[in-house]
Amino acid sequence: MSSRESILAAVRRNRPEPTPLPPVADFGGEATVEQFAHWLHFIGGQVIRLAADQPLEDAIRQLFPDAGRVASDLMPSTVPVDQQTPTAVLEAVDVAVLRGELGVAENGAVWVPEANMLHRALPMIAQHLALVLDHENIVATMHQAYAAVQHTGNYGVFIAGPSKTADIEQSLVIGAHGARSLVVLLR
Amino acid sequence: MSHPQRAAAFTSDAERTTWHDETLWFVRQKRDKAVYAIPEFQQLRQLASDIKEHTLSRLDEYLEQFEQNARANGVQVHWAADAAEHNRIVLDIMRGVGATSLVKSKSMLTEECHLNPFLIKNGIAVVDTDLGERIVQLREEAPSHLVLPAIHLKKEDVGETFHVHLGTPKGEKDPQNLTEAARQHLREKFLIGQVAITGVNFAVAETGAVVVCTNEGNADLGVNLAQVHIACMGMEKLIPRTADLGVFTRLLARSATGQPVTTYTSHFAKPAEGRAMHIVIVDNGRTRQLGRPDFRNSLKCIRCGACMNTCPVYRRSGGHSYDFTVPGPIGAILSPNIDMRQHSTLPFASTLCGSCTDVCPVKIDIHAQLYKWRQIIAQEGELPASKKLGMKLLSTVLAHPGIYRFGGKIAREGLRLLPHGLTHAAAFNPWAKARELPEPPKQSFRDWYAEQVVKL
Repeated sequence: MSSRESILAAVRRNRPEPTPLPPVADFGGEATVEQFAHWLHFIGGQVIRLAADQPLEDAIRQLFPDAGRVASDLMPSTVPVDQQTPTAVLEAVDVAVLRGELGVAENGAVWVPEANMLHRALPMIAQHLALVLDHENIVATMHQAYAAVQHTGNYGVFIAGPSKTADIEQSLVIGAHGARSLVVLLR
Repeated sequence: MSHPQRAAAFTSDAERTTWHDETLWFVRQKRDKAVYAIPEFQQLRQLASDIKEHTLSRLDEYLEQFEQNARANGVQVHWAADAAEHNRIVLDIMRGVGATSLVKSKSMLTEECHLNPFLIKNGIAVVDTDLGERIVQLREEAPSHLVLPAIHLKKEDVGETFHVHLGTPKGEKDPQNLTEAARQHLREKFLIGQVAITGVNFAVAETGAVVVCTNEGNADLGVNLAQVHIACMGMEKLIPRTADLGVFTRLLARSATGQPVTTYTSHFAKPAEGRAMHIVIVDNGRTRQLGRPDFRNSLKCIRCGACMNTCPVYRRSGGHSYDFTVPGPIGAILSPNIDMRQHSTLPFASTLCGSCTDVCPVKIDIHAQLYKWRQIIAQEGELPASKKLGMKLLSTVLAHPGIYRFGGKIAREGLRLLPHGLTHAAAFNPWAKARELPEPPKQSFRDWYAEQVVKL
């Protein structure tokens, strides 16, 4: 008997009496820009409100005046990136400017599906990450976020703030392996 | 060595013990703040527990559904009955693609299976990429905590390790600079990694996706730069629906480190074009635990580590004193299922105060299970002689009122007359190692009560 069969047989032998699967309630909550900004700030990120007529590249230039290599499909970019881009090119990207689909007010997370990433590694390998988010696409909680996303697709990530670690004596250090900073630009 | 022996070695450095205790209590306090921010937190705990309970009651069906959906996504699914089979599967995948190097993100399962030494023995270069895991890997130690692998180390220790292995300046101990050195060092490894291994926090039956939660971004970097992704999961990681992730992602980071959510909550369902993804589903004793009604609840664990941060024994004895992949209270109820004789002292490494049960985000009755394992360990004759004799002696005394009264008198007189150095000698009275015995009362309650009756 294969391990698959023997494991499944053992589960059938040993599993407890059936219990019902509870429905997951929507607990409500505050789906406001203020809450979102509060929590994103709390976890080390930054929120900037774009003026209606302000071009994205202006905001990016102000935020990252020294960034030579910018990868983006939302504004003129200096490094073209797609899923075939070699690692060496990806590794040299200073800033990635990508679209976030959905913001979560209770924790500052932003849903970034594969389709928005140009390359799956780009949001993590770029030195800095900027996510452009429609302020109307903010939900209160993770429950509402998953309800809105529905299917998490081939690959997708909730990104909440910059990469961080506290593995050395519980001292918080921003910029572990992924992006050293995260800014959300609200439209 | 037993837990008390290893704990004694840890506590011999009083200053470090106090530091360890306070550091983990700090994490517990952060957890409290994060938890109190959600009014429905207690409802979420119940929901999480009920979802896991339901999943365990139909685990075979969810495993098959998960496998079917993962296969439809183009993922290869493997089943491993035990650690040895798991390790063989991983090695075969590596050899199949001619890979000789591997980047790993956090996976307690591969620690449980001792994958690293097995692969290294077979000529594979293995690099742990979580900062804490890399630190303990360079030091050739095991992680001492589920989510804070290097919590037993001070920054000076890490500085010394990095000086030796990464060439940081001697005496460098600033966490910012040390983390930057690790970032540079590990980036090189990410860029050349052929195969990436991740653990799995949640496996969603209805989509076949696996969800990995990290703060550093190492799992995503590793997977998305490598040709092959191997996700290794214990079979109890299953949850039925994507909607259930709403419950568990709200509980996990808040309970673990007091963050509102982990930095990266990554959903891997289908490999990128031209790349490959494998999932290894591991039993390794889990079906046995499922068959123990008193202990199957332990399979609900989401590995947050809250029970460790709150445990007065863990905080003062350190993760390594448990000598098991999963330390702390949860480890003390998981380990006897794996090897009762080897881990027979762990269920006793508890005051049964119940704090672990109170903070557990999936409502595992940890302290009740600790108590139950003690009964079984005693029945199986695994108690040390001192405990066995002590219990026998006590049951004789308590069953004979005359002996009890006589013993009480001896103790009251003895405590008054004998020198402190003798009544508190560690060799005769281990209880008094760090405690003072109470002032002996002049008379017993029984004598006092008899006097009152006469007065009436």
